[in-house]
Amino acid sequence: MHPRRGPRHGTAPCSLRTPLTRRQLRQRQAILSVLPVIVVLLAIRAYPIVTAAAKSLTNWNGLFTSDFVGLANYVRLLKGAVFWKLVRNNFVLLLNVPIQVFLGLVVAVLLHERVWGWRFFRSLYYIPQIISAVIIGYLFRTLFSMDGPVNIVAARLGLMPVPLEWLGDTATALGVIVFCLVWSSLGWMAIVFMGGLSAIPDSVFEAARIDGAGFWRRTFQVAVPMLARVLEYAVMLSIVWTFTGLFPFIFSLTRGGPGYETTTLDYMIYIKSFVSGVNLGEACAIAVLLLVIILALTVVEMKATNAVEDWSE
Amino acid sequence: MSRIRAASGKLVIFLVQCAIALSFLYPLYFMAINSLKSRPGYYTNPFALPRAPLQFVNFGAMVSQFKILLLFRNTFIICAATLALLILLGVVASYAFAKLRFRWSQAVYLAIVITLFIPAQVTMIPMYVLFARAGLVDTYWGVVLAYLAQFIPEVVMLMTAYFRSIPNEIIEASEIDGCGYWQVIRHVIVPTGRAAVFLTIIFYFIVMWNDLFIPMVLLRKMDMRTVMVALAGLIARYTGDPPYQFAGLLLSAIPALLVYVVFQQYIIKGLTAGAIK
Amino acid sequence: MRKLLNIIVLLALVLGLLLAVSGCAKKEPKKLTVWVPARDAYIGPDEQKKAQEEWYISQAFRRFEKANPGVTVELVAQSDAAASHQLFKAAAVAGNAPDVGVLWSGQYIFGIKDAIRPIDDLVPKADLEGLVGWETVREDFKPDGKILGYGAYAVTLCFMFYNKDLVQKAGLDFEANPPRTMADFDAALEKIKKTGVLPMVFDESFPWFNLQVAVYWWYQLSGPDRIIKDCLGEEKFSEDKGLLAMLDYYHALWKKGYVNRDAATSTDYWAKFLQGKAAMTAGISTTLTEALAALGDENVGVIAPPDMDPNSPYATGRVVGGTGGAVVVSKNSKNPELAVKLISFLCSKPESLELLKHQTFVPIRKDITPAEMGYAPGSVQEKVFTYKDNYIYFVDNILTPGVVDEYYKLVPLVLVGKMTPLDFAKAMDAKAAELKK
Repeated sequence: MHPRRGPRHGTAPCSLRTPLTRRQLRQRQAILSVLPVIVVLLAIRAYPIVTAAAKSLTNWNGLFTSDFVGLANYVRLLKGAVFWKLVRNNFVLLLNVPIQVFLGLVVAVLLHERVWGWRFFRSLYYIPQIISAVIIGYLFRTLFSMDGPVNIVAARLGLMPVPLEWLGDTATALGVIVFCLVWSSLGWMAIVFMGGLSAIPDSVFEAARIDGAGFWRRTFQVAVPMLARVLEYAVMLSIVWTFTGLFPFIFSLTRGGPGYETTTLDYMIYIKSFVSGVNLGEACAIAVLLLVIILALTVVEMKATNAVEDWSE
Repeated sequence: MSRIRAASGKLVIFLVQCAIALSFLYPLYFMAINSLKSRPGYYTNPFALPRAPLQFVNFGAMVSQFKILLLFRNTFIICAATLALLILLGVVASYAFAKLRFRWSQAVYLAIVITLFIPAQVTMIPMYVLFARAGLVDTYWGVVLAYLAQFIPEVVMLMTAYFRSIPNEIIEASEIDGCGYWQVIRHVIVPTGRAAVFLTIIFYFIVMWNDLFIPMVLLRKMDMRTVMVALAGLIARYTGDPPYQFAGLLLSAIPALLVYVVFQQYIIKGLTAGAIK
Repeated sequence: MRKLLNIIVLLALVLGLLLAVSGCAKKEPKKLTVWVPARDAYIGPDEQKKAQEEWYISQAFRRFEKANPGVTVELVAQSDAAASHQLFKAAAVAGNAPDVGVLWSGQYIFGIKDAIRPIDDLVPKADLEGLVGWETVREDFKPDGKILGYGAYAVTLCFMFYNKDLVQKAGLDFEANPPRTMADFDAALEKIKKTGVLPMVFDESFPWFNLQVAVYWWYQLSGPDRIIKDCLGEEKFSEDKGLLAMLDYYHALWKKGYVNRDAATSTDYWAKFLQGKAAMTAGISTTLTEALAALGDENVGVIAPPDMDPNSPYATGRVVGGTGGAVVVSKNSKNPELAVKLISFLCSKPESLELLKHQTFVPIRKDITPAEMGYAPGSVQEKVFTYKDNYIYFVDNILTPGVVDEYYKLVPLVLVGKMTPLDFAKAMDAKAAELKK
């Protein structure tokens, strides 16, 4: 029944129109409720991705030149050496995840023992997360500079005859970055694991202790399997973060240098679009590739944890 | 005998935790003592405690020359506006997902969550051009909208989880009492789901306060910059004056630290709860 | 208590929303928006510590407004000079680029010429004859190319700064006997090194020394035409003997220990020089004031780079420099005549003299003498001034966009031996080939 037609056309009068059922009202309310969020996301997240993908097929120079070049940007990227260096850097920096997980677990278990003052320590360990990555990056750059504290201490302890230029060599620079990432995220990892541990009934640990399991055994053979879900959550977030959240660290630590040795994919997008904007189509191509990599990794990670869960059951 | 072993075990754990705490605090301590030195004093010995006269002038210069309070104001404005919108849109949308069942709610929810995987860098350039066309570059609104789009999926996830646990009976009771849509939200959802709202405010305030990328790209005007962007610019200058820079970094860390110290219970509770979902 | 807290939080959020709304810009008629980099252009290093209204440039704008009633000039200080080129582009696409932008001359503005309004028709003849730097703002450097802007704000010149005390301790006198050949230069550096002092301190994380001194040798050996041809892919960097010779020497400086070991990543080179921890460094005329203040008026000297080829047909006895900046008018400006009037005003004699009180520049006006600028005869500032007709234009403003960025990124690796000169040249060739239209 068309509401506008009304009595003029001989159908039932307006006053007898069936009101919206409660269910329909709910539906409308619900759709209106989520509409703002959807609009925002479509406009600012979805639309730009489509544009980025479209522009990646052009040689857009940021101004008015934008000719279709097909897959030329992708081909050039994948054939060139720099792109693979960036991928290498991202994957090397992924090392921060297992280190973080291991140390985070240890710290979480220590805290879980609830020794006097554990609440205070827990608050303290989270502090690096409260401090901006800009500050942390700059601090570590100063600490590891040529005449910085690390070199001075190492010299005094006799560990290094000649001071190292930490941020000047690829291997050591990446190492410093990994160290910095672990330092900054350890607190978060520990608290997340603590959450998981607190869901494990104490009786399980008690039983293990009675069975004579030492500290390490209790940690790794008892706790870890029960933390599978939490582990998956933490690892997945950390991996995605390593591909998307490192910008402020790289910016303040090394600016991607020397050369492109510590540049990551997301930092390269920044360079190619805001520092040297010659071919923004290429920058968009890198962005699309980055997205593909992240999605692929997430899928792999989910499959892996499913496999592990199946196995541990 | 075993009591001693237990006690010594506890002592060991305590000491280890102290060592870990020291390693976390040392860089901050380093920054603090060196912010009170003069430039030559710093270069002579970066480890020593600062010698009198303590260079509070570094902090003074930060306020008067670097205008750090102005930068605080800018950052605060952005945070406040974004949080207001995040909560408004988040509560309303999460209420729908948690309580108002509608067709395709699963699919829409999933679509929203998937945008979490899109890094900011991927959408940066087209978003920048879009904002430039809309005149949103170098305005607070541009940054606010960008943050909104960035954080709303997580906020929706968080709030939906919290709101799901609100008993339906309370909602039905209030509806029987004559509460319409907005009244339900105001009188039932928000008070009961208060923890989620608080957690959102506290957590995302800190995240936004510390953020670099989005404000750096969208807000270049000198007198509208945020704290971290200005500091990044300061650090990049070639005339290094580390004590001055340390003073600035320390000052900029204070608001976030304050919020954390006061509200840490919420944050920790939120983190641990999020992990068990 | 909790209710109070709630109210406070709510008020804060509302306040934030309102303030955000007010942060949106509004356009007015007869208004000029001017983008100025926050340092090294019209705003001096010591001015940053003052309030914006006290800057020379703000007051210059106020003077212009007084002379032109009904006009307002808005100053927008850009914190990142390199990025402002990209931002100018993006704003142009959106149609709201500023009326006037202070950018970098040469290839930097050629790359965004689609966003710039040529001002051949608006520049007064007096300016064309009385100012220098026009060759750097004519499209593609052609003598009859369209004029894309004023070569502004002044002429900057690059030198090697040296600490007179430390140099004298090594038994050298750079004023009476400056090293003019590479062999002399090496000998001098060796003598300084023997006294236990670091001869030169660099920060090549952005290759300052390379761009301010070393490229002079490349220019001297290959000439500007060859350099441009390399960039366009018509010739090869890897066959450019001048480039390879320059890079070999550049690396040798580091290898022999004449330069700080962490030159590729260090960022406190200037602080080290100012503290007297190194004998020499590279710098530009604007930073002379700061050096004099830190080390003492009598203790700072400048020398030009030695000549790698004393018989070069391209340049001898010169330094790198020129009008590195360009003041342009955007295509979407609604008041181009007014914009050019403003720029011409800034280049007028009274304004130039006022600007030069705040920073050590060499003026772009041909009619200003050192005496008028207050430089005592025999002073180091006067020595800088004598080079104002004797420079080669910044090589990095000749390199094409894309190629120049690759140059910046990779040349520090050559300094510390992480990349051989030949590999570097090949990488540049690859980049040039990639960008070849």
